[in-house]
Amino acid sequence: MNAVVQRCRRVALSVAAGLVLGLAGGAPAQDRPTDYQVKAAFLEKFGKFIEWPNNAFATPGSPLVIGVFGENPFHGALENLAARDTINGHPVEVRELKALPDLKGCHIVFVASTAKAEQRDVLDAIRRSPILTVGDTDDFCDNGGMVQFIVQNDQVHFQIRNEAARAAGLKISSKLLILAKRAGQ
Amino acid sequence: MKPSVLLALPARFLRPVRWKSFITLNVIALMLLQAPAMELATTNAPVAGVSSNNLAEMDIDQLWNTRVTILGPSEAISRTPAAVSVVTQEEIKRSGAMNVPEALRLVPGMDVAQIDGSQWAVSSRGFNDQFANKLLVLQDGRSIYTPLFGGVFWDVQGPMMEDIDRIEVIRGPGATLWGANAVNGVINILTKGAESTQGWLVSAGGGTFDRAFANARYGGKVGENLSYRIYGTYLNHDDTPLPNGSDSQTDWQLGRGGFRMDWTPTLDDLVTFQGDGYGGKIREVFMVAPAFTPTPDVMHVRGLDVLGRWTHMFSDTSNFKLQAYYDRTERQSIIFDEPRDTFDLNFQHEFQPLDRHEMIWGLGYRITRDSEANTSTVSWADPSRTENLFSGFVQDEIALVKDKLNLIVGSKLEDNGYTGFEFEPGTRLLWTPTTQHTFWGAISRAVRTPTRSDNDVIFNQPPGVTVYGNGGQQSERMIAYELGYRTQPIKQLSFDVALYYNDYDRLRSTEFGPSPTQPVSTPFFPLHFDNRMAGESYGASLSATWRVTDWWRLQPNYTVTRIHLHTLPGSTDTTSVPSEEGQSPQNQVTLRSMMDFPHGWTVDCGLRYVDRLAFVAPAPSVSSYITADARLAWRPRKNLEISLVGQSLFQKRHAEFSSNAILANPQTQVPRSVYGKVTWEF
Repeated sequence: MNAVVQRCRRVALSVAAGLVLGLAGGAPAQDRPTDYQVKAAFLEKFGKFIEWPNNAFATPGSPLVIGVFGENPFHGALENLAARDTINGHPVEVRELKALPDLKGCHIVFVASTAKAEQRDVLDAIRRSPILTVGDTDDFCDNGGMVQFIVQNDQVHFQIRNEAARAAGLKISSKLLILAKRAGQ
Repeated sequence: MKPSVLLALPARFLRPVRWKSFITLNVIALMLLQAPAMELATTNAPVAGVSSNNLAEMDIDQLWNTRVTILGPSEAISRTPAAVSVVTQEEIKRSGAMNVPEALRLVPGMDVAQIDGSQWAVSSRGFNDQFANKLLVLQDGRSIYTPLFGGVFWDVQGPMMEDIDRIEVIRGPGATLWGANAVNGVINILTKGAESTQGWLVSAGGGTFDRAFANARYGGKVGENLSYRIYGTYLNHDDTPLPNGSDSQTDWQLGRGGFRMDWTPTLDDLVTFQGDGYGGKIREVFMVAPAFTPTPDVMHVRGLDVLGRWTHMFSDTSNFKLQAYYDRTERQSIIFDEPRDTFDLNFQHEFQPLDRHEMIWGLGYRITRDSEANTSTVSWADPSRTENLFSGFVQDEIALVKDKLNLIVGSKLEDNGYTGFEFEPGTRLLWTPTTQHTFWGAISRAVRTPTRSDNDVIFNQPPGVTVYGNGGQQSERMIAYELGYRTQPIKQLSFDVALYYNDYDRLRSTEFGPSPTQPVSTPFFPLHFDNRMAGESYGASLSATWRVTDWWRLQPNYTVTRIHLHTLPGSTDTTSVPSEEGQSPQNQVTLRSMMDFPHGWTVDCGLRYVDRLAFVAPAPSVSSYITADARLAWRPRKNLEISLVGQSLFQKRHAEFSSNAILANPQTQVPRSVYGKVTWEF
């Protein structure tokens, strides 16, 4: 038993030393991405798992438009991803949206948490339009949103309200729906 | 709680704290003061350049598993009404685990003890043994629980470690969904979808205990919608030393190969086809009748499995899954020799019959056929048996108060060849008053059905007794009462507490005298199996996750397990009670630290304390021990990683378990060991 106590003490000391060193040494910037970088990557890739009605794109080559409503939290990450990718032949365009009329022409709309006050208006304005709505406030789906990001255990996950998407004429891939089943339980 | 694979378990959980002696209050205060400041410091330093390049190439599953620095809305805590933990690929990799039992050491409350070079005892909530028969284990929806002795042949199980997506573990009963033998826990080992394993991955290394290993995998695509991978692995694992330092002759070599294909023909359909094959040689020393002298042996193991699964989504609340698999295992040794074929067909359907009701039901059929060779040590009343298992289940999750109070009721119904009809009902209640608190409670019934050996075995054991199976053996029964609570009082800290009380009845005992169903066939003194033991166990597991800073996570855990058993009137068994009570540690403490440093360096450590185990003489007791694993890894480029892992570092060697009657070495010891590994993806 004494040996155990001694060992505990030794470990406690080294843990404490580690703490002090770690704290004194300043915060190391690690290679971990931020939640918003991962959200941007999801947002940019969601298009691959959605079927829009035929009339949602003017031509097979017209852009897939991702709108960001409210203050853009992605700091260019979404634009960078979009610039290098196409989704089913569509180039990807990112727009910052300031007011409700800007929603027109978007295929995916992200409602930033800074625009929480306008969230309901945005969702109501495009409820029946074939626009995938994505947000990260905790009542986003309850207010009629389709995809809500949640952060759990340092990972970004999302849940999906498929009825809302279906009502808007969107078809979401089983791949996304199965993944979403694992979120937040 | 939903059945595995299609709708596997929830996300991950939070682990316990109880390591007060390790961290002084001063240090805690210092950290709490410092932590928020640190976070600001790092969040201002954008790491966008490198990581967004990585993110662009990741698929959706990889993004799902990526750990992030949190800037936005804060975390949600788990809402699963069960004692669940999920071990992710990242955690497995960073623990340095080389096989599934080592990875299970990461689960709060799991009791993992290495017996010798290739054998493990793995259980939760007590009753640990080499063949821990109250823990059900599945890999990608395929049961790897052996109906021969009960338990898992861990020496041949498990995918390529890099291909594991996650391991979901439920401590406590899961019988309502998973059926028989999910008494004290259910483990689901889930591999990554083929889309997440594109390109080449090659890893290799070696060390003092894991002498040499190599893994290779290639993943590709056919068209837009079909992904596949093929893989091969090889391992050569040293034996454990005996207490005097000499070899126990229990080393282990295994080769494995396989494939997985995932096809999404439409947006609503997902088809998976996968298979594996393995072959190996495992050295072991057995007590062989009639002389009962330790006899070295080379076990030859071979196996093959193929599985197909079709998942169709009608909507996000309605889907079905149809799955079929075939599994063949062969194991030849001087004490037993078994080829076994199993075919399993499974269907399940989830839908919303009414508002506030989520219903899931399913049907299953399994047929398993074995052919047992008789040896001088183990022979069988019936050389071959074919068993049919029919099963069905139904479960309804009712939102009594939307988003606040959920009630789950359901039952599994089964018909098996040994005991006939079994039912395993359960009910769970989930209360989430706010997003920061989850309370849950459950009452469930579970059974452990008799194994082939419980029924038919004729097992000659030293010092000169023969244990006979009992054709009238009944199922072991348990009623479990559970309570749990999770909370996240501040963004950096979350807690998970689970309490249980298990009431067992008709547990297997070994009685004097001939079996009621078998003639005495050997000159040795006859014993037979019966169901004359009962009792209770109770315990708690407390775990926590502490995000000390955004580059450092600590996960402490404390688990206590108490078991009180007694024999029933008429029993002559004097060993089962003390051995079941003594073979699981009363107290276990673990502390895991994960640190991320700049320039691709990570440092991980795990400490564990395991209480003493008492075995029935002549098997020696196991002293309590405290030991540590550590891993240092460097990623000079994003597709290359070099790591150095030390395991069981505190002692030159230590014992973790003692053998049962089959193995000749009364005890072997796990040595301090080191290995190096290089992983290259291209």
